[in-house]
Amino acid sequence: MQLSQISMMAVAAAEEEASGHGQSLSSDVVMRLGPFDISNHILSAWLVMLVLVIVAFLATRSMKLVPSGLQNLAEVIVEALIGLIEQVAGPRGRAFAPVVITLFLFILSANWLGTLPIFENIQVIDEAHHTEVPLLQSPNSTLNVTGSMAIIVFVLSQVFALKANGVGGYMKELFIPNPLHILTEVTRPVSLSLRLFGNIFAGGVLVHTMLGIAPFVTFAFLGLELFVGAVQALIFTMLSLVFLAIAVTPHAGHDDAHGDAHAAAHH
Amino acid sequence: MEHWGAALAIGLGAIGPGLGIGYGVGKAMEAIGRNPEVSGTILAPMLIGLGFAEAIAIYALVIAFLIPK
Repeated sequence: MQLSQISMMAVAAAEEEASGHGQSLSSDVVMRLGPFDISNHILSAWLVMLVLVIVAFLATRSMKLVPSGLQNLAEVIVEALIGLIEQVAGPRGRAFAPVVITLFLFILSANWLGTLPIFENIQVIDEAHHTEVPLLQSPNSTLNVTGSMAIIVFVLSQVFALKANGVGGYMKELFIPNPLHILTEVTRPVSLSLRLFGNIFAGGVLVHTMLGIAPFVTFAFLGLELFVGAVQALIFTMLSLVFLAIAVTPHAGHDDAHGDAHAAAHH
Repeated sequence: MEHWGAALAIGLGAIGPGLGIGYGVGKAMEAIGRNPEVSGTILAPMLIGLGFAEAIAIYALVIAFLIPK
């Protein structure tokens, strides 16, 4: 292609982006499955889950004692994550490993797959509002998905606290050393969900804006979004782990294994 | 008028995290300068701390997006 044609295409793309086709804050419905409306974020989440299941299936298909190939890669990842869990939450932290590792793998895959061009570019017609909505959107770019993960972590931490301390101990924990403990408990899922949502949503808007302003350096912002996606996945995972570990630790016991947990939580 | 609100939200909201991130990275640089071997050990906790500081700026950005709606 000649340079003039490329620059004309870039100008056309810039005009189209500037007309406001960017990300919407609401989760738009793109199909119906029986009585349920399926939004584009949920469809993307299903796609991410499908990719994860396929990779897991391929990695464990013919498991060898001395791993190689995909099984080796999967074992490296899982061992690194379990090492991190034991470093932060102590040896009892392995009870949280399935939830925490699932959170990390889902958020990381969702953030990284969300940078692929198939997301936010295939438009379907939304009959109800007669507009075009994207068929696929990065799953974490809506508060629905990040909020649900944060609520899951919150409910799990309360359940673990009840199991570890008993009902009486749980009620005592809520008020005794710190009457505002309830406030910190409630703001944790809020901050957890808003952090991930804000980072991923803002990254998507940034890439759209850069496509409108300076299309030829958009790859740099896509790289930034990959980096931010990985860091935010790690942060969400570590914070969830710390909250779960704190939930099962009564305030009376301050052993060194939970030193990291306490230091990180009272930030 | 609401555009002023959105601009002020993100403009003022980015001051604190900007200072926080600069201070944190500065301290990390100091530690590395004092002892260059720990640069690998410091990197991961520094990035995690920066993620927390940046989250505050993201809260302000989310408000800035929500105001014109």
